[in-house]
Amino acid sequence: MHLRTNQQRRASRPTWLLMAASLFLAPTAFGVASVDDEPAKEAGTEDEEDKEEILALVGGEIHTGLGGVLRDATILVRDGKIEAFGYDVDVPEEAEVVDVSGLRVYPGLIAVGSFGLFGSSGSLDDSVDPYNQNMTLALAAGITTAVEGNTVAKLKRGHVDGLVVNSSAFESMSYSNGNPQGQLKVEADLKGAADYIRAYRAWEQEKKSNKEAKEPSKKGVDQQSLRVLRGEVRPRFNADTRTDLLEVARLAQRFGFRPIINGCREGWTVADELGRAGATAIVTPRTRRPKDESLLREGGSSIENASILYEHGVNVVVVPASRGISLGGIVGQDLLHLPVEAGFAIRGGLPELAGLRSITIEAARVLGVDYRIGSIELGKDADLIVTDGDLLHYQTFVQWAIVDGEIVYDKQAEMFFAHIRPRPETALAPAEKMDSGEEAPADAPEGDPEGDSEGDSEGDAEGDSEGDAEGGDDEKPVTDETSGDGGGEEPESSEEPESSEETAGESGD
Amino acid sequence: MILSPLLLLGPMAAAPAVPVQGDLFVIKAPRVELGDGEVMEHAVILVEDGEIVTMGQDLPVERGIPVIELEEGQVVMPGLVNPYSRYGMSGGGYNDSRPQVMASAELYPSAAYKVFLENGVTTVGQYPAGQGIPGQAVAVRPKGDTAGAMIVEDGAYLKVVMRNSSSAKRNLRDGFKKADDHLKKVAKEREKFDKAQAKAKADKKKSKAVFVAPAADPRVQPFFDLREGKLRALVSIRNAASYAHLVDAVGEEDFEWHLRVPLTRDIDVFHVTEEVGERGCFVLMEPLITLVPGTLRQRNLPAEFERAGAKLVLLPRTDSKAGFESFLEDVGVMIGAGLDRKAAVRAITHNPASFMGLGERLGSLSEGKRANLLIFSGDPFQPDTKLDAVMLDGKFVSGDMDQ
Repeated sequence: MHLRTNQQRRASRPTWLLMAASLFLAPTAFGVASVDDEPAKEAGTEDEEDKEEILALVGGEIHTGLGGVLRDATILVRDGKIEAFGYDVDVPEEAEVVDVSGLRVYPGLIAVGSFGLFGSSGSLDDSVDPYNQNMTLALAAGITTAVEGNTVAKLKRGHVDGLVVNSSAFESMSYSNGNPQGQLKVEADLKGAADYIRAYRAWEQEKKSNKEAKEPSKKGVDQQSLRVLRGEVRPRFNADTRTDLLEVARLAQRFGFRPIINGCREGWTVADELGRAGATAIVTPRTRRPKDESLLREGGSSIENASILYEHGVNVVVVPASRGISLGGIVGQDLLHLPVEAGFAIRGGLPELAGLRSITIEAARVLGVDYRIGSIELGKDADLIVTDGDLLHYQTFVQWAIVDGEIVYDKQAEMFFAHIRPRPETALAPAEKMDSGEEAPADAPEGDPEGDSEGDSEGDAEGDSEGDAEGGDDEKPVTDETSGDGGGEEPESSEEPESSEETAGESGD
Repeated sequence: MILSPLLLLGPMAAAPAVPVQGDLFVIKAPRVELGDGEVMEHAVILVEDGEIVTMGQDLPVERGIPVIELEEGQVVMPGLVNPYSRYGMSGGGYNDSRPQVMASAELYPSAAYKVFLENGVTTVGQYPAGQGIPGQAVAVRPKGDTAGAMIVEDGAYLKVVMRNSSSAKRNLRDGFKKADDHLKKVAKEREKFDKAQAKAKADKKKSKAVFVAPAADPRVQPFFDLREGKLRALVSIRNAASYAHLVDAVGEEDFEWHLRVPLTRDIDVFHVTEEVGERGCFVLMEPLITLVPGTLRQRNLPAEFERAGAKLVLLPRTDSKAGFESFLEDVGVMIGAGLDRKAAVRAITHNPASFMGLGERLGSLSEGKRANLLIFSGDPFQPDTKLDAVMLDGKFVSGDMDQ
């Protein structure tokens, strides 16, 4: 009994749902495992409570973020890393199982700029407020990693250690047409660094034959430029106007590095140059700025910016206009709307996958952390979000956010969005189903197959454009049939077919 | 079974206010709150020299022993213990680590202490002012002609202020680090000494030198005391984050620490209720209903922490006369709002006493405890109840009852 309570507690910020899950689970799990597991558990508690935590998301539609979509698949997370995902995943008995059938699993989103999510500035390890409201809200928006200042850190709710992924996110360089002196300096620095590298390479060659050869002096060589030219870092420029963008692109081509361009408002007018320079653009698709009327050429912002850049080989990262969480008024352009912002890039013509990548793996790349986060791949950090629909759809809610294998956000457990389209209770897998991962997706909720198929056919027949409320009404009789044993269930149950219809419709696309 | 009052040594024994000898009397009370949450009806309390010698239900009383017979409806409760107050003290403190500072140095037997007694507080913990690590608190009986006569226990706890900031965490970490450095220094000295001894032996000289470890810096000593269990820490936190940072800063260090959680403004500590409850430490709070920050959702945090397993200690809502006066009523409101009544009694008597390490001496009513007790006209938590009398060490010190 005591063990079971522990299990419940370690089920991290547990919802009633998960608690129920572990209740079902506990007897079987501990019946077998208690003896062998005890020493391991003790060892685990010494440094990290969460050691040997196993989490299984069963039955979801997995979007890896790299193009792959696996329907009715399982993700197994051990010790905060993705251990396995796919169809033949063995779920260990001691795993905490979350039934995500009918829901989608995406990699956690990355905000390449933010403020206020960590409740503090300065050294995050010592001053983060891991319970602050903005962090929860950002998780509700699907963000699991964000840049604060120049630090890449995870939104590890309730933890004060292990947040920082990379303490120097960007290497900023300034190269703007408005500051010719500065431009000359940057050029001179880069040239000095290039000369040094050339001399160094020559020396390396010469050293083989002539042991007397002198190593070129590092004196006066700009270290930042050196790191840039050696490809150790990618410099970030702030550039919006066509002139600035062209200058950055040409500088990059001249010295052979790949710039990250923040802003890039008029990038669509010089996309080919930027593409040739191997640039990555950090854009805000909803930026509105008219062109400079004194100029003949094209200019100003364009909804197509992201799409045109992408077509020309520029990697696109999306950020909203405001980097904070803003609850005042109808804002809609803050970090809470990161996926929506990416959706606007798609509206402008960006392919859907590129839209997803623009807030996941491409963002991870510009931050130099793509080896750990940004996509669902074996061995990567288990930073995942579970949504009730297409991530980039405005109606979609994040149901769970998982950071390092721990559920840090649960829509139903937080007060912000729990009341809007509450998650149907049937999203919880029946107890029998949790024993093996293989069978789990196959035999879906007991009563549901009928309901599902009916829901599907009806949904398809009536067309996707059908109003939600109407669809829900139509489904009601089905619900009554299937949940007959449940008796007088809560009104939420009427939501159930509605959501299954939605998913069915969408996955059919 | 009569315990000798001599068992109770320590500073109290020297206090002149304690009756010298042969001061024996009995209180017959229809209803006694024992302080541990239990209630004894028709209780007979035998007090000798300021200490409860025997106590039981309907005990026969030898003829000749003076009896204080309470009226029907009157309730006896242990004297209140307020372990966290600066009432009667003045001045501010510093922002850094000064764990060697003793609040007892500030102690002065002013008229302010009468206010404690008038409101039924018979033991007070007074802490040094300041942020960071301001120093060590002193347990005081609020009566005495000199500061020395008032002190019950010096160094009752070390106050530590924890915030989610690097400086607060550094104060704590550096304290233990300096203790480690000192140990290293001692080890080095020891090595040197041993070498010298070995050399002396080799030279066949007889040396009677004894190794004397270099004394620790007074700023370091409290951290040794913490590690050895001679001192406990009371950590003041401001939000759930500072608790998380406290746990992080404490790390592997093993010492006794408890929490001061101010509820005077809305606070999000409910995030860590379970963790704190599992730890089972003392939690010092005001009897106040708070809101979830940014919302209008009310929470009874004292009740939540108590239920989770923390040892609750309730403090007056403000450290002032007004706060002391409304204290029991405020606690009554919390009971009405869901705080367990037994827990509430514990939280103002036994728990604060044992938090300061005085649980064996006071804070509850049983054999061997000090006769610090309050006599109420009715249920102590009802607003219309009057505090009829306050007894400190067997003497009425406030109220209108005669001995």
